[in-house]
Amino acid sequence: MSKDARVASANAHWAPRFISNGVLLADFEDVTSGMQRWEDWCSAWSARAAVHEKLGRDTLAAGYKLTASEHLTRAAVYYHFAKFLFVHDIPQMREAHMKAVECRQLALPHQRPPAVRVEIPYEGKCLAGFLRLPVFSSQTAAKPPLLIMVPGLDSAKEELEAYELPFLARGMATLMVDGPGQGEAEYDFPIRGDYEVPVKAMVDWAMGRKDIDTTRIGLWGVSLGGYYAPRAAAFEKRLKACIGLAGPYDFSANWDKLPELTREAFRVRSHCKTQEEAKRHASTLTLKDGIAKQIECPLLIVTGKQDRLIPWQDAQRMVDEASGPTELLLVEDGNHIANNRPYRWRSRSADWMAEQLGLPRQ
Amino acid sequence: MSALPQAPEKDPRVQSAISHWAPRFVANGVPLSDFEQVTAGCERWEDWCSAWSARAAQHEELGVQALAQGYKLSAGAHFTRAAVCYHFGKFLFVNDLAQMKAAHTKAVECRNRALPLIDPPGERVAVAYEGKFLYGNLRKPAGVARPPVVVMCMGLDSAKEEMDDYENRFLSRGLATFAFDGPGQGEGEYDFALCPEYEKPVKAVIDCLERRVDIDSSAIGIWGVSLGGYFAPRATCFEKRIKACVALSGAYQRSSNFDGRPIINVEAFRVRSKSANLEEAGKVALRMSLAGIAKNISCPIYLVAGTKDRLTPHTAAEKLAAEVSGPCVLSVIEGGNHVVNNLWYRYRDQTADWMATQLGAARC
Repeated sequence: MSKDARVASANAHWAPRFISNGVLLADFEDVTSGMQRWEDWCSAWSARAAVHEKLGRDTLAAGYKLTASEHLTRAAVYYHFAKFLFVHDIPQMREAHMKAVECRQLALPHQRPPAVRVEIPYEGKCLAGFLRLPVFSSQTAAKPPLLIMVPGLDSAKEELEAYELPFLARGMATLMVDGPGQGEAEYDFPIRGDYEVPVKAMVDWAMGRKDIDTTRIGLWGVSLGGYYAPRAAAFEKRLKACIGLAGPYDFSANWDKLPELTREAFRVRSHCKTQEEAKRHASTLTLKDGIAKQIECPLLIVTGKQDRLIPWQDAQRMVDEASGPTELLLVEDGNHIANNRPYRWRSRSADWMAEQLGLPRQ
Repeated sequence: MSALPQAPEKDPRVQSAISHWAPRFVANGVPLSDFEQVTAGCERWEDWCSAWSARAAQHEELGVQALAQGYKLSAGAHFTRAAVCYHFGKFLFVNDLAQMKAAHTKAVECRNRALPLIDPPGERVAVAYEGKFLYGNLRKPAGVARPPVVVMCMGLDSAKEEMDDYENRFLSRGLATFAFDGPGQGEGEYDFALCPEYEKPVKAVIDCLERRVDIDSSAIGIWGVSLGGYFAPRATCFEKRIKACVALSGAYQRSSNFDGRPIINVEAFRVRSKSANLEEAGKVALRMSLAGIAKNISCPIYLVAGTKDRLTPHTAAEKLAAEVSGPCVLSVIEGGNHVVNNLWYRYRDQTADWMATQLGAARC
């Protein structure tokens, strides 16, 4: 009984990420152990997501909003993982994706703290995001600083609550946005290497808010977002600090060693026709030629030394070249994003950002 | 990649611990990769406690570093994780009491360090009991004046240091929690033997809580897990100050016969009941009974059981449900293991919501 290599690859790379971002261990084992073909991935995860969705809807109808929000947030994470790399069947991917968006949307007002969906004007259309204010900002006169959070190649705002909560607990507001080529924006907008353009739109939008301190805005990005965030920080000088998690320094340099599923997701989300075209597009995702040097705000880069997707030396190069204060948090036994060692960086990076944005130590 | 590596040559006691307890460890705060690595590296049961203690020490060190820098919230989370890992190092390690107690002392110490740092914070409380003391952790929800309180009863191998996740679900719904180590449990296992007549320690706990002005002692609920899923209903049979009861995977009537139970669990029962041999332990087990008294339970009760429970058959919950006098919710969860830790989303929030309703907290 040999598993489809794509299923085996997804399991091998992503088990710790699924679990640390909200999938139950028993669910991960049940769903992946019964699966032989990659073609079944999306439907199998969607079926398990539907179990949690039903619990959420039933609980919501009974008036238990907090419990409902937890079930529905979990359902959204499961629907998200159903679709995350399923680019070979776009209608099926999109159906699961829309369920992820719908479930999380139902949860938003009942979460602690609550979230609101916002739409950020961008190139004649909009980028969708979640804005959350920290609980105690309503109890004090001071407006909270803001952390803008951006996903990677296969993550989206529906997956990332586990990353978001430590920042909220320390007094930052969070704005989680699907940028070009990501989540809800992947249909209208291809991946773009000059991510400073969408980040400018996000910061412009934030400037219009009365409920946050717009003089204190930080940026955070995960995986490919671990490139997007430093890249944007090189150009967007309104950012006061930046965290990048396991991002590439120059994506084309990593290209040939990437798993097939990852390359294919990049091709589709870049709206490219061929792998050759996609590889050329990957070369536009770069901090080369003096770009990294333009990063002047404080920069924290986190990566795992055992990362099989993006070598840790990329992180080293970013901190070596940036002009401002830098810190490299290298997790010796960490995999990609060190999701197998979340306790080595999740709370610490939140403490670091709180400090940069002028919040008292909690 | 299998999430649960299983080496065929492993000590059957290690294999048994892994196969029974993986979902519990992870659901109660052990990072998955820690579980995989520590158990994969553990060939003999004799190495269990030291392997977990070594991993716990890493979390403890992270807590020490964070605290030294003034990052209290991070330190609280690290110390809580350290306490859980030390706790699981000792949880069934009755084959070497000196080593068990050393790990246990560290578990208590780490959770005590976490208590003032976590949100909401906790407070260690001593309860006078039979000339000595039982210890518990009291946590109160933020922003609620004189909240109702849930008394949390441990089982055979759980202790208050393992309870953070369960506590948080009550706290976020406006209920205070008092997780305590009873006789034969956690810190109570050295001075006291397991007490089948659990209404006695619960009376001492409620007497103590009634003297406090910061909680509403007219709204006390009780909750119990595993063997505590027997203790909580047992206490409710006699203690009429209890307004509602939640019992997870508890027995109706324990047998004097330990056949079919994992050997390490049987040994833990023998040691914690302070029995010289299994015959004596069997006599203590027989006293663990709701026969003839279950009808005394007149307050609302919520029973949770799993159909795949290999320790306590779900029929125990059905029998209890049939005999109580008050309102009863019986939740038998298809595919659930012992304490349904593999499907915890089917009862943890639900029982917290139910308890909040019974104790008069606002629905949220």
